[in-house]
Amino acid sequence: MVNKYVMNELQIGTYRFSSRLILGTGKFGNVQSMLDAIRASGTELVTVAIRRFNREQIEHDLFAALSTIDGLTLMPNTSGASNAREAVRAAHISRELSGSPFIKVEIHPNPQHLMPDPIETYEASRILASEGFLVMPYISADPVLAKRLEDAGCASVMPLGSAIGSGQGLTTAEMIKLIIRESSIPVIVDAGLRSPSEACAAIEMGCEAVLVNSAIAVAENPEEMATAFAGAVKAGYKARKAGIMPRSGSAVATSPLTSFLGKAT
Amino acid sequence: MNGLPDWLTNEKGSDDIAPLLINGSSFPLEFLAAEARAITLRRFGRTMSLYAPLYLSNVCSSGCAYCGYASDRKTIRRHLDFTEVERELSGMKAMGISDVLLLTGERTAEVNFDYLRRCVDIAAAMMPRVSVEAFPMSVNEYAALADCGCTGITIYQETYDPEQYRILHRWGAKQNFLDRLEIPERALQAGIKTIGIGALLGLSDPVEEALKLLRHVRHLGKTYWKAGLSVSFPRIRPQTGGFQPAFHVTDHFLARMIFAFRIGMPDVELVLSTRESPALRDGMAGLAITRMSIASRTTVGGYVEPENSQQGQFEVYDDRSAEEFCSALQAKNIEPVFKNWEPVYNGPSTENNIS
Repeated sequence: MVNKYVMNELQIGTYRFSSRLILGTGKFGNVQSMLDAIRASGTELVTVAIRRFNREQIEHDLFAALSTIDGLTLMPNTSGASNAREAVRAAHISRELSGSPFIKVEIHPNPQHLMPDPIETYEASRILASEGFLVMPYISADPVLAKRLEDAGCASVMPLGSAIGSGQGLTTAEMIKLIIRESSIPVIVDAGLRSPSEACAAIEMGCEAVLVNSAIAVAENPEEMATAFAGAVKAGYKARKAGIMPRSGSAVATSPLTSFLGKAT
Repeated sequence: MNGLPDWLTNEKGSDDIAPLLINGSSFPLEFLAAEARAITLRRFGRTMSLYAPLYLSNVCSSGCAYCGYASDRKTIRRHLDFTEVERELSGMKAMGISDVLLLTGERTAEVNFDYLRRCVDIAAAMMPRVSVEAFPMSVNEYAALADCGCTGITIYQETYDPEQYRILHRWGAKQNFLDRLEIPERALQAGIKTIGIGALLGLSDPVEEALKLLRHVRHLGKTYWKAGLSVSFPRIRPQTGGFQPAFHVTDHFLARMIFAFRIGMPDVELVLSTRESPALRDGMAGLAITRMSIASRTTVGGYVEPENSQQGQFEVYDDRSAEEFCSALQAKNIEPVFKNWEPVYNGPSTENNIS
């Protein structure tokens, strides 16, 4: 039986996307390989750092390159911002330049490990949501913060699977499950995924989408890897729709332990 | 020398990396290169961020024995006026540069804080990212530079060997080893976002220099959790005055040191300038280095006005044009990134919340 409660399209705000794979655009060896990977992935939503917008050198302007792909929605991100004030200002610039209502709030005051600052992220997200942005905050896998951000009007939450670029996979899986259980907005795993099987697992566990960058960009063949991730995300979603067999903690005894119940003698 | 801080002298701060660096290390260079490459690829991807230096002045009051701009060198002394600064920056912009490092010598009557601040003002209006490598400043002065849009400060200890330091800094404001050691912290206290440190390799025992530099960068990271950290690996180059370094730092040791730093500090920006040969720079790109200077001039100005007989601070080894250098990176499937910053991220990092 098909699980009728699983929507076919990814919906964020009033926007609908046929792919549940979102791509990051950093770290590619060249612009062409980034574009090839995006096309191969079938994604309709990509994130791009505002700091990589380069209006004065069009050949190095990721925004200009991405604008050549039809049907692609851009989600600019504030990577590089170290506090809420900078992120809000960057969001304003991004809306002006790209016209996109989406903003991925990414605030990491420590430029080494790039872990998101919950306090500044909350503050920037609250302000930007009140200004009508579709806010997609990148956060640690913290169920309380996720609900706080939902209450503040965010369009989704994007907990990390593990540290950016670490390729450690879903080390925060149990916390992400809690976030999914409680959330009324899409939960999208962002950061740390290394292989398609991990993306598949994230979708199977109930994430509405996954965001992948490093795993595709630094692959020997980014285009092929993008295809692999697309297939894995589709498989995970199909499995969820089909209804994944519940996991049992122990074997079921062939001689029932409770067969004595209701017997007269 | 008395009064050296514990973080500098305590070998525990580098004992994980020391085995990779010591003479006769059992770790093969190829093994370190592979490790470094994997870390760099994961963390930084297939990209190289690019910057270029602009020497504002070669006027200097110091007597650093290894420097082509030391006050006893017979070099024509000059500094750029503000119109020239603007013109040079326009020339750099036309080459695609979006990330500039402004350099001066020691503070003098003309090339003083007000001069430098004005130059940062001009540069920040034209370039997304501006850093400064100049004379030491007070916390208030660094804060004022951050306010004007200065993102980073580069300041080398030159050597972590106090005795060599004393001998090499023959006169001038730079003579005090411990004072110099404190300067990066002063900049970070002022809200400067990124600090670049390094040792001028060849001035003392390279293994000791490497380990102390590693302890320094780790100390800064622990003490200032928001600090962006970068490490440079400048080797002594031929320069006016004919200084001969006491230690020869081989290509192999330099590579070993850079790989060890990548392994020991996976997230830190590692920088290699045009002091090094095209072959070495191209080879290190993609293995561990994530930031490089490009098309550099080490004379005062030099991007718009052709370099004349004026001597640079040191001889540039990799003198390829921006286009040539980018082609070499692209041939290795590495994307040259000119702009990797947005001016809205400028301003002191001490200012946190929006309210």
